[in-house]
Amino acid sequence: MKKCLSLLLAAALALGLTTAATPVRTMADDVNITLWTYPIGNWGNAETVDGLIKGFEEANPGIKVTVEYLDYTNGDDQVNTALEGNAAPDLIMEGPERLVANWGAKGYMVDLADLWDDTDKAEVNAAVQSACFNAEGACYEYPVCMTAHCMAVNLQRFQAAGADQYLNLETRTWSTEDFINAVAALYAAKGDTVATIYCGGQGGDQGTRALINNLYGGTYTDPEHTKYTADSEENVKAIQLLYDMEGIVFDPSIVAGDEINLFRQGILDMSFCWNAAQQNNNANNDPGLTNDGDEIVFMAFPTESGDPRLQGGIWGFGVFDNGDAAKIDASKAFIKYFADGEGTDDAVLASGFFAVRDTAEGNDLSGIYADNAIMSEFTKIMPFLGDYYQVTPGWAEARTAWWNMLQRVGAGGVVADEVAVFVEEANAAAAK
Amino acid sequence: MKKKTAMSRALVRRETIAGYMFMLPSLFFFLVFVIYPMFMCIFTSLFDSNMGRNTVDQFIGFANYVELAHDPIFLGAMKNTLVIVLVSVPTVCAFSLWVASAIYDMKPALTSAFRVIFYLPVVTGSVAVTVVWKWMYNNYYGIFNYLLKGAGVIDKNINWLGDPRFALWCIIIILFTTSVGQPIVLYVSALNNVDQSLVEAAAVDGATRFQIFWKIKWPQIMPTTLYILVITTINSFQCFALIQLLTSGGPNHSTDTVMYYIYYTAFKLYRYGYGNAMGVVLMITIAILSAVQFKLGQSSN
Repeated sequence: MKKCLSLLLAAALALGLTTAATPVRTMADDVNITLWTYPIGNWGNAETVDGLIKGFEEANPGIKVTVEYLDYTNGDDQVNTALEGNAAPDLIMEGPERLVANWGAKGYMVDLADLWDDTDKAEVNAAVQSACFNAEGACYEYPVCMTAHCMAVNLQRFQAAGADQYLNLETRTWSTEDFINAVAALYAAKGDTVATIYCGGQGGDQGTRALINNLYGGTYTDPEHTKYTADSEENVKAIQLLYDMEGIVFDPSIVAGDEINLFRQGILDMSFCWNAAQQNNNANNDPGLTNDGDEIVFMAFPTESGDPRLQGGIWGFGVFDNGDAAKIDASKAFIKYFADGEGTDDAVLASGFFAVRDTAEGNDLSGIYADNAIMSEFTKIMPFLGDYYQVTPGWAEARTAWWNMLQRVGAGGVVADEVAVFVEEANAAAAK
Repeated sequence: MKKKTAMSRALVRRETIAGYMFMLPSLFFFLVFVIYPMFMCIFTSLFDSNMGRNTVDQFIGFANYVELAHDPIFLGAMKNTLVIVLVSVPTVCAFSLWVASAIYDMKPALTSAFRVIFYLPVVTGSVAVTVVWKWMYNNYYGIFNYLLKGAGVIDKNINWLGDPRFALWCIIIILFTTSVGQPIVLYVSALNNVDQSLVEAAAVDGATRFQIFWKIKWPQIMPTTLYILVITTINSFQCFALIQLLTSGGPNHSTDTVMYYIYYTAFKLYRYGYGNAMGVVLMITIAILSAVQFKLGQSSN
């Protein structure tokens, strides 16, 4: 009797385990796909994304989408772990530096070149398009939105220190000399830190790269995106200038997110990590204001030449090759809907950035920010969009080497030597 | 007689089989989640293994270990790890014993209150604890700079986590606060289990409080001390979350620990083989130290 009971229990347990291991499908023909998204504007906000997904699922009844949210601190590690464990999501939303230069280059992504017809090629911004394809012509990201990363200043602080004379608020540009004079004036008035070269990690490192490259016209990579060139005389001069300036601190205890908070709190007078979404942020006060109500003015990075080259931000969707044709097709339908279809305007608005195209399947996207004064003003600096060099091979390793280099400089390392070490490490990664 | 022996053997066999069957689930998890990864770690450490669907791991023998011996960042990380272990383990043990000695014979409610206070950082999520400490250490608005400036001890803010002179010590302090809870609870329990008749007899014979502690209590709580030494050593060697959340190993690798450098190498530089070689070195180091501690503990007993 006991044996029979034991056998029955064992059979029930085995059956239960087998049942649990069987994938659950809501309906016989439904395809379940998973999207992992970084916090790109409101694409990191569950309420907004739920609304977007609902619209997609209504338009595509056979497809169900599950969304998981990543952050920029641990997101890459989560994706890498999933890839190594064969548990990658079907879709991911981020930029070409990850989708094309990293996971695409490592063979994990599906080629999306078949989603591009001649109309798409004509509609999508050429520089953005080029960043989404690799040298062999494979497309690992279908772009949705873009912006130009810039910097921001606290206008009231500048006025109080008499430094507002160095800002050209009409063109949003200023010279390297203006920048030097402004920092000197602010430091004289305040006697404390004006701005920081944050280098606690890779978060927001586009700001420090763009500042350094713009000050004396240095470049980060060669135009072909094959090697890193940050050890140029111009870059060394720029880093040395920043290191020597009173009021500018190389701070290895913070990353860009911390720097932005300090700027919003009024502790710092400038932020080197800014963009349209930051300017529109209303978490602690009205858009365009610090927590204390000071006016935030976005500016291009200072240059000697008067021709700033801003670092671009491009975001879109990529598909991981999980070997399931039905899921790949469903993912492509998702991309078509949000990047070139009826959901594109909502997808772009949710990001808080600009569309990479003026029309999507006949829908006009050029006026989606017509009633937003900040975004209209922000278009002034979009022509300064520079080379999208983040697709250079070895990008992930180069990012790590960059903030480590800044930390060494901040600790008193010889600038030329430390930048040379950075370039050696980054180029070694690029050559792999 | 012969029949009785055969029966005994059958009983022993049956009990042995039952024992193994009870062990089977744990053994399964131990093999799958401890032994297999450990084997894979050792195996992969002999390869140049990198991330990539189309990459093929190259067998390179002990080249990763040779490289480790010449890697200044790894050697720095090992030094930092040893500093953390050498500072934390004795201080955690001594402080826990001191607190436990002071509170174990108080009124039960008071003893419990102290146990809760000291145990709170252990049960609080490490992320929450770290965020609060990060605020306190903040270079711009942290309370430490505020108090020290207010007291006139410093005239300029100290970048606690951004200055190589202070960063590692700041981490050791946090590690200390999150490590003392469990040893205190264990010591309170161990001290309560000390044979009171021996303590009273020694007191009657004129032993001082120090002699009572050293000759009567200390030997009886030695197994607890040994356990605390081993777990604190292992925890200190495996210090990772604090580093990742507070400094990412910076500034300039001054707070790298071996655990963090393994993560950095594997997840930031995608060098899995090299990271695994570090894991093997760490495992051997911890095993040797734990064995030494056991040996010393046994000879003391």
